[in-house]
Amino acid sequence: MKRRNIVILVGLAIAAAVISLWVGQQAYTWMPPQASAESVLVDNLFSFLVTIGTFIFLGVTGTLLFSILFQQSTKYDFSDGPPIEGNITLEIVWTAIPFALVIWIGTYSFQIYNQMGILGPMEHSHLAMGMAIADAAPLSPLSSDVAAEVPQPPIEVHARQWAWEFRYPDQNVASTELHLPVNQRATLLLSSDDVIHGFYVPAFRVKQDVVPGREINFEFTPIREGRYRLRDSEYSGTYFAANQTNVVVESADEYQQWLAIAASQPPKAAENPAFDEFTQAGQNPISLGWQSVKPAPAPLVNYASSEEDPHE
Amino acid sequence: MSNASLEALGTGRGQPQPGAPDNWQRFFSFSTDHKVIGIQYIVTAFFFFLIGGLLAMVIRGELITPDADLVDRTVYNGLFTMHGTIMLFMWTFPVLNGLANYLVPLMIGARDMAFPRLNAVAFWLVPIFGTILMASFFVPGGPSQSGWWAYPPMSLQNPTGNLINGQALWLLAVALSGVSSIMGAVNIVTTIFRMRAPGMGWFRMPAFCWTVLAAQMIQLFGLPALTAGAVMLLFDLTVGTSFFNPELGGDPVLYQHFFWFYSHPAVYVIILPIFGVFSEIFPVYSRKPLFGYKVVVISSVIITALSGVVWVHHMFASGTPSWMRMLFMFSTMLISVPTGIKVFAWVATVWGGKLRLDTAMLFALGGLIMFLFAGITGIMLAAAPFDIHVNNTYFVVGHFHYVIYGATVMGVYAAIYHWFPKMTGRMYYEGLGKLHFALTFIGANLNFFPMHPLGLMGMPRRVASYDPEFAFWNVLASLGGFLLGVSTLPFILNVLSSWVQGKEAPDNPWRAIGLEWLVSSPPPHENFDEIPVVVSAPYGYGTDEPLIASPSGELASEHS
Amino acid sequence: MSTVDIDPTLNAHAVHSVAHEEDDHRMFGFIVFLLSESIIFLSFFVGYIVYKTNAAEWLPTGFEGLEIREPLINTIVLVSSSFVIYAAERFLHKDNLWGFRAFWLLTMAMGSFFLYGQAVEWMNLPFGFTSGVFGGSFYLLTGFHGLHVMTGVLLQGIMLGRSFIPGNYDGGEFGVASTSLFWHFVDVIWIVLFLLIYIGR
Repeated sequence: MKRRNIVILVGLAIAAAVISLWVGQQAYTWMPPQASAESVLVDNLFSFLVTIGTFIFLGVTGTLLFSILFQQSTKYDFSDGPPIEGNITLEIVWTAIPFALVIWIGTYSFQIYNQMGILGPMEHSHLAMGMAIADAAPLSPLSSDVAAEVPQPPIEVHARQWAWEFRYPDQNVASTELHLPVNQRATLLLSSDDVIHGFYVPAFRVKQDVVPGREINFEFTPIREGRYRLRDSEYSGTYFAANQTNVVVESADEYQQWLAIAASQPPKAAENPAFDEFTQAGQNPISLGWQSVKPAPAPLVNYASSEEDPHE
Repeated sequence: MSNASLEALGTGRGQPQPGAPDNWQRFFSFSTDHKVIGIQYIVTAFFFFLIGGLLAMVIRGELITPDADLVDRTVYNGLFTMHGTIMLFMWTFPVLNGLANYLVPLMIGARDMAFPRLNAVAFWLVPIFGTILMASFFVPGGPSQSGWWAYPPMSLQNPTGNLINGQALWLLAVALSGVSSIMGAVNIVTTIFRMRAPGMGWFRMPAFCWTVLAAQMIQLFGLPALTAGAVMLLFDLTVGTSFFNPELGGDPVLYQHFFWFYSHPAVYVIILPIFGVFSEIFPVYSRKPLFGYKVVVISSVIITALSGVVWVHHMFASGTPSWMRMLFMFSTMLISVPTGIKVFAWVATVWGGKLRLDTAMLFALGGLIMFLFAGITGIMLAAAPFDIHVNNTYFVVGHFHYVIYGATVMGVYAAIYHWFPKMTGRMYYEGLGKLHFALTFIGANLNFFPMHPLGLMGMPRRVASYDPEFAFWNVLASLGGFLLGVSTLPFILNVLSSWVQGKEAPDNPWRAIGLEWLVSSPPPHENFDEIPVVVSAPYGYGTDEPLIASPSGELASEHS
Repeated sequence: MSTVDIDPTLNAHAVHSVAHEEDDHRMFGFIVFLLSESIIFLSFFVGYIVYKTNAAEWLPTGFEGLEIREPLINTIVLVSSSFVIYAAERFLHKDNLWGFRAFWLLTMAMGSFFLYGQAVEWMNLPFGFTSGVFGGSFYLLTGFHGLHVMTGVLLQGIMLGRSFIPGNYDGGEFGVASTSLFWHFVDVIWIVLFLLIYIGR
């Protein structure tokens, strides 16, 4: 009897493990396309977390469900269950295992964070003590991609209520669409004209608040060509939701071409949903006339993106 | 049996009974009876819960389509700001204070709280700051639209130019809420430390009292930091100081530290008493002692201690250096260990028991499962690299709604059903209760589960409009939201009708062990004729140990 | 049902003097409150330190630094008043009401002197509440502390008045003890504040 129970238990555990592994693989499909080297790392971590999480969830809910289904008392049975007040061994085990588990998860996350190295060189100086720096880390799959790169000044990212503007200082180009060459480390300098915004490209799995009064170095490596969404991730007031644009990742040639063409264009006012909506506010069924901060006028740029452009 | 001695313990004073329906007028008076105040808290909080819920349903109405086409964006932003503020400061804090107020003195064998008048003042501040908060809907420019975090410099933007604006009223209300909470915390901590019945040592105290104590300690050390930040923000907003205003040399990220130093532990203020509720309910309806009682209560205190050193995990994508992100990633993960211990202990309590699936037990089990899910997504969020992707997306919204709705609201419902006969002297209707559970459980999962895939896909929170690819899951979430609105109806019907004309409740309808079950339902004024002497640990299910020594020297068994 | 012997010490506990126990509760609660209150000060201190560490230009332009001499006299007066109020309490313990009143009044005078000195200092400073984070945090900290001193003096006034109710302080007095504790608290906060703002330049 006892042996049979053990066999059943082991069987169930194996079944739960198999299901967990399968769900962990599915986790990749819940994410946007993997368009940056960082996204590969983050998705691996996520898949790992989902696998472990599924196993724990199945184990606990399975046990509870068994109790609910098979251990109900009958209507007139007023007796009590066995007076078990605890079990030291069991309690030590279920303290030690989660403890070991979180150390494991923590260490793994720590490694991945270091490999990503998304905060620029200024931030790295804080890390110098005892932490491997991403670019120098031998594990890093990113460093090989950027080896041949000529140092470029960072692309300036200006966030404001409510528009994104990207400036390429060497070419003197301003754009409302961020263009990046594929397989090259992108270095950005984030700054805000007014309130806190958030630079977020889901396909890259990277995000950084843009804090007014600071200039934040930020970097990552796009690895897949395409047009992706760039969203404001830190709530920034009335037209927050409309404060989004696109990132285009393209081959080095196309990128240079785009820069050259853009540089030849005279600056013109970009498309700006926030400002347009503001000027015709009060169109919605429920509008109570609550004032909004006036949006900044549409930025003057050499290249203007359109919200009509298709994205992945 | 010892019915006679129980009579002597509880009733026979001829005093009005605080929960009985026939003297409802006392609920509108400045009563100093902890039981009246407890019910006042719960009912007031529930009223605001309904308001916050209505706001949420308008929000979900807006989000059922991708465009911002139902309400103006300013209105939408005001709605979600007020939804969050009301649900936290007007519903969860007060309702849990209400439960603590009602139950703690009864559970520890005290006649009232340590400071009954302070208790009443703390309660009456709730309608006052609630009114201030509601009034902000009617000032020019509407209520605060800066989210419940009120991050500067955005919260300092004041398009109306008025001194009395939504944001200023919001800060005033939050400050008053802090004053009320500190009063309550001082009172509850003093009561638990100093007014336990003879024989009730620390490890004979019910787990609920432990968790309430742990939660109120957090209020005491955390709230002042928020108060400090709020005072500085109020000065920035009204007189033009520059604490958080970067244009004048201020530091907006410092505000985030002040805010989260309190507001993350505030989550534990909310969830710890629910851990207590689970720890009370599972033993009763499984007929088994709480598994690993000592470890469960000690882990509550560990959670309190750890909660003070995890706040930066809300700022992984903020203006924080990498070393800070890594440090707080580890501290945050550590907190899952004491939490995990509790979950396993509850499962072991239920395991092998003789389960009775009354409404309270159903809510507790449902709440536990949703809390487990929230805990797993919580560990994911603690992992900084993953958090950077989903920070400020709907994944986070889904996670904390599983905590706050799935665990806390379900736990509050469980508590209300469990102690309803004690509070009112009437039995609720089991059928309506089960219907309520089914609607709530389905509604909550339908509403909050779709938020996780949305967040993974990259939908930011707090948006009034979104890209069309997010439509499918949003429609599901909105339907779930409306279902949750509907789910409150059977509850309201159940409570009102059974309070007025329900079957009279016996003293101990669930055959539960605990001092509160030894007095009449509802308990008399001042609870105990003679303070009981506790002679054993709580949760003696399955043993024949008596809980208290009766005044006559005779045993008062829990099975009378 | 069997009978059990109840531990006699438990009964003794139960018949403990109710009035005295309530005073104890109040003192316990008051201490808890003060601990919590100290976190507000702690937060302001931390804010001050963060601002100071990160500021490019800390002091307002043209301002050399705070004058120390007058604040130091103020500090000495305030800190000594802690000993004076202790003496007043001792007199009350020995049922010497007039001694209590005299020393209690002296404490109030010293507290008022401190407030006066603070006001004079504020008047003569070349910067205001809204001139940068230094001005802001300086006035915030000294102002919030000054508010506490004022509260302390007011409480002392009330306790002084109540000492004239015959027989009021016969059984010891929670109000006097807690006012005195509050005063010590305000003193300790000032010492930290003084070291941080005036000395730690």
